[in-house]
Amino acid sequence: MATVEFRKLVKRYGTHQVVHGIDLAINDGEFLVLVGPSGCGKSTSLRMLAGLEDISGGEILIGDKVVNEVEPRNRDIAMVFQDYALYPHMSVYENMAFSLHYRDTPKQEIRTRVMEAAEILGLQDLLDRRPKQLSGGQRQRVAMGRAIVRKPQVFLFDEPLSNLDAKLRGSMRLEIKKLHRKLGVTTVYVTHDQIEAMTLADRVVVMNSGNIDQVGTPEDVYHSPQTIFVAGFIGSPTMNLLPAKRNGSATIVVGEKSDFHVQLPAKSASNTDAFVFGIRPEDIAIASGDPEDGRVHVDGVVDVVEALGPDTLVFADVGGHQVTARVRPDVKPDIGQPVRLSLDVSRAHFFESESGKVVS
Amino acid sequence: MALLFRKKRSRELVFIWALLLPALAVYLFYRVIPLVWNVVLSFSFWSPGKPAKFAGLYHYEEMLFYDDAFWVALKNTAVFMLGTPIAIVLAMALALLVDQNIRGRSLYRTLIFLPYPMMIVAVGIVWRWLYNDSVGLINYVLRSLGIIDQPIPFLESYDFAMASVMVAAIWQIVGFFMIIILTGLQNIPAHLYEAAVIDGARAHHRFWRITLPLLRPSIFLCVILGVIASFTSFDLIYTMTGGGPGLATELLITYIYKSSFTLSKFDYAAAVTVVMFLLFLALALIANRLAGGDAGKVDIAD
Ligand SMILES: Nc1ncnc2c1ncn2[C@@H]1O[C@H](COP(=O)(O)OP(=O)(O)OP(=O)(O)O)[C@@H](O)[C@H]1O
Ligand SMILES: [Mg+2]
Repeated sequence: MATVEFRKLVKRYGTHQVVHGIDLAINDGEFLVLVGPSGCGKSTSLRMLAGLEDISGGEILIGDKVVNEVEPRNRDIAMVFQDYALYPHMSVYENMAFSLHYRDTPKQEIRTRVMEAAEILGLQDLLDRRPKQLSGGQRQRVAMGRAIVRKPQVFLFDEPLSNLDAKLRGSMRLEIKKLHRKLGVTTVYVTHDQIEAMTLADRVVVMNSGNIDQVGTPEDVYHSPQTIFVAGFIGSPTMNLLPAKRNGSATIVVGEKSDFHVQLPAKSASNTDAFVFGIRPEDIAIASGDPEDGRVHVDGVVDVVEALGPDTLVFADVGGHQVTARVRPDVKPDIGQPVRLSLDVSRAHFFESESGKVVS
Repeated sequence: MALLFRKKRSRELVFIWALLLPALAVYLFYRVIPLVWNVVLSFSFWSPGKPAKFAGLYHYEEMLFYDDAFWVALKNTAVFMLGTPIAIVLAMALALLVDQNIRGRSLYRTLIFLPYPMMIVAVGIVWRWLYNDSVGLINYVLRSLGIIDQPIPFLESYDFAMASVMVAAIWQIVGFFMIIILTGLQNIPAHLYEAAVIDGARAHHRFWRITLPLLRPSIFLCVILGVIASFTSFDLIYTMTGGGPGLATELLITYIYKSSFTLSKFDYAAAVTVVMFLLFLALALIANRLAGGDAGKVDIAD
């Protein structure tokens, strides 16, 4: 087990820079998830850590040792690929034993380790099969088995579950979590699925076009997003983000037509005038009676209602902006009818529109 | 209902047979009938314009026990076939080379492939000129470099003729083999190599344990094509040496030609043809069996 550190890590393809000097420190035994939209540089960063891509600038350290010039096989890492990358002409056993052959492991020891891994992953009955003869979930398990027999310092996963159907993804997610708890190996996990990020991670790293926007626990990134990007990226349905202008010293006006006033957070030293007001759908309810303390009522028109079962999503048009509310399942507003929404502004987020940073 | 079904079904059958018929007719007249006729002929005494008489195994006995030329041609065919593994190794090396990210790789690919579609007679003539002892390029270069004093008449020499013909044959087919192997190479997912790199396999391990096993179908396709070529390389031999000097480059196929059209022993030639056909069939079956029954299969996606 080991710590991992990125120092001013840069990746360029020719003159095109795709990772812009990121800094990141990963603790020993931590489960770290890199999440972000397609093309933001998650895989590229992971592949630099694996040694599959050259590092254009900065340093990567594994266990306090700079590994920029270290061959992948000497970095003591194991990687699970999205398409599993199982050797199609080898049996499950041979796939798992492959790496041990190149590490001068005695035959008996190889057997013990493969059997051990097979037992952890429930692969005992499949050892003689070829990858072709396995289901997607079983292949995924073999790919993980191949990684754990090595007992590496660091596990790397690049979207390991994205080729599986939703149900299997859920159960494999659980298995990965259990496996990590059992082995306690430092893990870097890349995904663009925020549910995976939220459920698996000790800490989440949100990447945005080659930069790190925020590093924090799943609760941090959900409840205290540091940028507009993180606020919009984490959470489903996404946070409502509305334009706002300063009005007086401590209040802002949200929206253009159906305006309402809210207090800026007390300590706000910001001297810009343009803001973005963010509020999660679950912090909006359908209003009844007069607004209580800390709530603001706004009027809109119901566009769409989606009954999800445990709760219902109401999409309303508020002064030309779409606002999503997550309400109790017994509430059924009529489509096309006016609706009064009650916003819990004590839970709202304020961002400067120019810098995209949170106001605090 | 049943009647209707039967009618519809028979209409379909007529349609299917109507579509198949032209192709089947061609196959019948150009393949099946000659083959059957050839087998019949091999058990008969026959020369043009004379009635055929049953000969039993006479021609086969003659061939196997009394005809040294047949055995020489058989041995030469086997030697000629050794060009196939050489061509495959060369093609593999070239394919690995042009598969790299080198500048102008598509140009190299085209250049290497170029000889294959060329008419074999033309290839033979070009190589005959290259090998020529007085005006040939090879002799000129060797003498200019001081490697030899006397010109070597490659194609007229018992020592060099076979090797010279094989070089031309390999040169002609290597580009085609390269394309087959290259296709196989490019069907191996890059992730497999990355996984192997992380697993600790060095370049030569990756070649032996990943590239080569996954190329097996492509390689065996080359083997089968090479075997076919060595049984049918009539045009190249005929234009370059005509089977000579003596019997030095006589292959089964040229021997069959000579027996029938030079010596007018059509019945005997038919017997040699049957033997060649059986040998060829056996080799092709063995090669396909070794390839796991999927020679030429390129997709290894699972
Ligand atoms: N070999 C390459 N040459 C040039 N540009 C590349 C290369 N590989 C990746 N890129 C670019 O680098 C950027 C980051 O790619 P990367 O694969 O890291 O994205 P990602 O975050 O993993 O996205 P996804 O979720 O789609 O896998 C992209 O803009 C991509 O176009
Ligand atoms: Mg990726």
